[in-house]
Amino acid sequence: MNDELILQHGLTLDEFQVIKDYLQRDLTIEELGIFSAMWNEHCCYKTSKKWLKKLPTNNEIVIQGPGENAGIIDVKDNDGIAFKIESHNHPSYIEPFNGSATGVGGILRDIFTMGARPIATLDSIRFGNISSDKTNYLLNGVVQGIGHYGNCIGIPNIGGECEFDQSYDYNNLVNAMAIGHVKNDSIFYSKPKTIGGLIVYIGSKTGKDGIHGASMASDVFSEDDEDEKRPSVQVGDPFMEKLLMEGCLELMSSGLIESMQDMGAAGITSSSVEMASKGNVGVNINLDKVPLRQPLTPYEILLSESQERMLAVINKDDNEKIKKILKKWQIDYEVIGEVTNTKRVVFTSKEKIVVDLPVDIIVDDAPEYDREFSLPKKRKNRNFNKTSLSVDKMISNYMNNLNYLDKSWVYSQYDSTVMGETIKEPGQSSGVVKIQNTDKAIGATTDCNPLYIRINPERGMIYTVLEAYRNLIASNIKPMAITNNLNFASPLDPNIMGEIVLSISGLSHIAKKLDTPIVSGNVSLYNQTNDRPINPTPVIGMVGCNLNWKKLIQNKFISEDDELILLGNSLGVNFSPYYLQDQKIVSSTCEYNELLPPDIDLEIKTAKFIQETANKDLIQSSNDISRGGVFMSLMKMTYKNLGFSIMLDDDDIFCEYSAGYILAVHQKNKDEIINLLNKEQINFLSIGQVKRDTFEINSKKLNYSDMIEKYYKNFANIIN
Amino acid sequence: MRFKILIRLKNQILEPQGKVIEQSLKSLGFEEFTNIRQGKLIEIDLPDTLNEKERLKKIDAACKKLLVNEIIEEYEVLG
Amino acid sequence: MSFKSAVITFPGSNCDRDALSYLRDLTYGEVFNIWHEEISLPKVDLVILPGGFSFGDYLRSGAMASKSNIINEVINHANGGRYLLGICNGFQILTETGLLKGALIQNKSIKFLGKDCYIKKKFNNKFNCNIQNNEVLQIPVAHNEGNFYCDQDTLNYLQDEELIAFEYCNGEYSLDDANINGSLHNIAGITNENRNILGMMPHPERAYQDFHASKDGKKIIESILS
Repeated sequence: MNDELILQHGLTLDEFQVIKDYLQRDLTIEELGIFSAMWNEHCCYKTSKKWLKKLPTNNEIVIQGPGENAGIIDVKDNDGIAFKIESHNHPSYIEPFNGSATGVGGILRDIFTMGARPIATLDSIRFGNISSDKTNYLLNGVVQGIGHYGNCIGIPNIGGECEFDQSYDYNNLVNAMAIGHVKNDSIFYSKPKTIGGLIVYIGSKTGKDGIHGASMASDVFSEDDEDEKRPSVQVGDPFMEKLLMEGCLELMSSGLIESMQDMGAAGITSSSVEMASKGNVGVNINLDKVPLRQPLTPYEILLSESQERMLAVINKDDNEKIKKILKKWQIDYEVIGEVTNTKRVVFTSKEKIVVDLPVDIIVDDAPEYDREFSLPKKRKNRNFNKTSLSVDKMISNYMNNLNYLDKSWVYSQYDSTVMGETIKEPGQSSGVVKIQNTDKAIGATTDCNPLYIRINPERGMIYTVLEAYRNLIASNIKPMAITNNLNFASPLDPNIMGEIVLSISGLSHIAKKLDTPIVSGNVSLYNQTNDRPINPTPVIGMVGCNLNWKKLIQNKFISEDDELILLGNSLGVNFSPYYLQDQKIVSSTCEYNELLPPDIDLEIKTAKFIQETANKDLIQSSNDISRGGVFMSLMKMTYKNLGFSIMLDDDDIFCEYSAGYILAVHQKNKDEIINLLNKEQINFLSIGQVKRDTFEINSKKLNYSDMIEKYYKNFANIIN
Repeated sequence: MRFKILIRLKNQILEPQGKVIEQSLKSLGFEEFTNIRQGKLIEIDLPDTLNEKERLKKIDAACKKLLVNEIIEEYEVLG
Repeated sequence: MSFKSAVITFPGSNCDRDALSYLRDLTYGEVFNIWHEEISLPKVDLVILPGGFSFGDYLRSGAMASKSNIINEVINHANGGRYLLGICNGFQILTETGLLKGALIQNKSIKFLGKDCYIKKKFNNKFNCNIQNNEVLQIPVAHNEGNFYCDQDTLNYLQDEELIAFEYCNGEYSLDDANINGSLHNIAGITNENRNILGMMPHPERAYQDFHASKDGKKIIESILS
């Protein structure tokens, strides 16, 4: 076992020495493979663990926090919502279609492995500059891949985000989020309970897919690497997963499963090791029993990431019943081992032991690092002159920028209404589905403001979470909990490690203030190519609930003459980073001013106001203010022939806002709303009305159909 | 023995993928490629014990029954 | 007199649950869910072949489902004059069995299409009799292969016998073309000669509840029950 082999397996020589010292012997090649997978960043969080421990992960609504396949929150009456977000960044750069499709497959398995039926997905995808052919190729591949998998398995996509920025030129991001519904007394965990229980393999046969995928997830690319990495990408079969999902849910609801774990990154290795670790037991598995697609060595079987496979523990008396159910769903099934009390992970092949390791050294004793990090430099105060830009020019900048245009080109490739319970489809401020046979509405959104986080990671993260919060509030969904996907470049760079540490700190702070614990998540590091790191991109998936779907509010204009009321405080031109970037006033990150401190108390107060007035049916529709300011909020609210006429200080039309919302209020409720706002001492401005076929800002009229055509059609025009 | 069944959309039916492939090839410098249509290949093994007539009969039957939709597709047996 | 109905589930059907709710909520009669391997169907008034990706849409959409055990019984049910409704993948299955003419091929855009579309009644039948002429319905579509094709003779036949049930049309304020997927003559749904079998690409079972974007899908069941 030479140094090169060890390094090729993604372990440092020091890490290898720790293992060797513990075991007091040489490792087999299969054992080296196991550590290569399990001690990898993706599986053991060695860089981020120390910091993630600081996150708030519990309160009275949390049934399951981080540590299982998904987090679960209680939405009353024995209903639980399981959810998680995960990344598939590196595979989707190498092979966008399959890389992103299998990302969706993986996250759905994480949900149904807990006994929850998936009810919605969201996707957060980021690409480089659209002028490059490569970006176009990736965009098409990723969207088709996500659509292919989600549509076939029949889970509606209800929202997400799609951003273009040159920092993702060589490292596009694909974060897939899934939400499921479970009955709280029927949740399944991965922890086996019975010594002597049978370990069974359920699902697709194993092939060479993705060998070393978990270590690829944490490898930095060099530009020439692509072709060599290509065979590693897993290919998914959503039809197989649909059968697998139905089969597993049927087994679980029939009481035939003791515990279940999906085989994701590092396949059979990670699933069996994690089961052993959670249950404080050992596992004995015969690799000869694993169903194979083609001949594989024990090493390959252990590391294969073939899709659509689950590992379960069952009582031997249930074997026949299980076989019958799985036969109906055409799913392969094999007993491959048993649960022991040795607390060791043992794999055999051809009657030889190829792996015999104590569980502890693989999981609990996995490395945890305290990497050096540096704090961002202090910023100078600058004043930005923008008076040379006319309103027309500023609008035109947005209408030619993919980040501001309607994204139906993306989401019309997804099925958003399958399962018949979708209340808000993509294009609204948050996605919403109803829980079948109840009145409960579950809302979700994904958000990130990488530019803010680059300027000030701690504050920027707070702003990001607040935007997710506002997206839910604008629909009258009560925000409840968070799942997060931390996408960063190499933590070996102290600046980037600083971004990681500080954004986790910011997340912790705001999650405590909002009482929205983090119940699940994922970390993806080393997103950089040839010294070009991505922007810090910690994506937040936020989920909430309204027990009565009838109290939800719309995010688009409903009727002419509704009064438009603006809430919140403009950050002003000097302190609105996206405005400065996208109006091309600033070109380098060091030129931005420090972010203004977020006004968390105002955000909470305003949110409470909106929820209370919406519950009293006083609000017609609402949208939050984010990138693009009041202008973009209003643009997003246009619907059919309903536009607007407003008067607002030129300076404030495009700036970002703190606690910013537009409320559309029926004239008959206007006085009451204004009284209540005054009573709560919430600043507001009545800026105008909803008006048919009108697009008027400060008495300047733009052609309504023209603007609508640009906003809704330019995305497709620019891409093609 | 291994057989290949080529299945393609009938000529009069619009085959949109072929046109896109043609565009892409042109943009890569393959200007002389025209009239591209994409079809399907199904490969099967049949026992050697069958004679040629029996084999073709079985393949035709399988095509008519399931593998080919004769409203929109036509097929050709190779090997 | 209660109205009985059934929804067939194939491996990969994913709109069966939706179709079951649609029937349970709107017909107040007994609703059966039948697995594709069954060899008998209970006596019902309406059978729905639901949407989804039966058999993964492998080989051709609906091809393998059309050879399932249960299909013989479905054919008997239809031959007995009772109602048969194929939605999306169900429509594809009906054309593959030959119960309906023509075929559904890939969308002209080569992309999956998931959005609201607008249809109106073309010729009258028991599935759309409660819909006014020129009334525009808004119903979601979600398909890769929704492009209706048939040869000229078949098209003439469908027109002469008045078997075209629905056509895609323009929606008020919609920015998109009426014909969303390249279908011949904007055909969105057709019946058989006896007009007791309807195949349609849009999903009425996604447009009937109070929280759905539109409730126009109700009109199909209401027509059948009237």
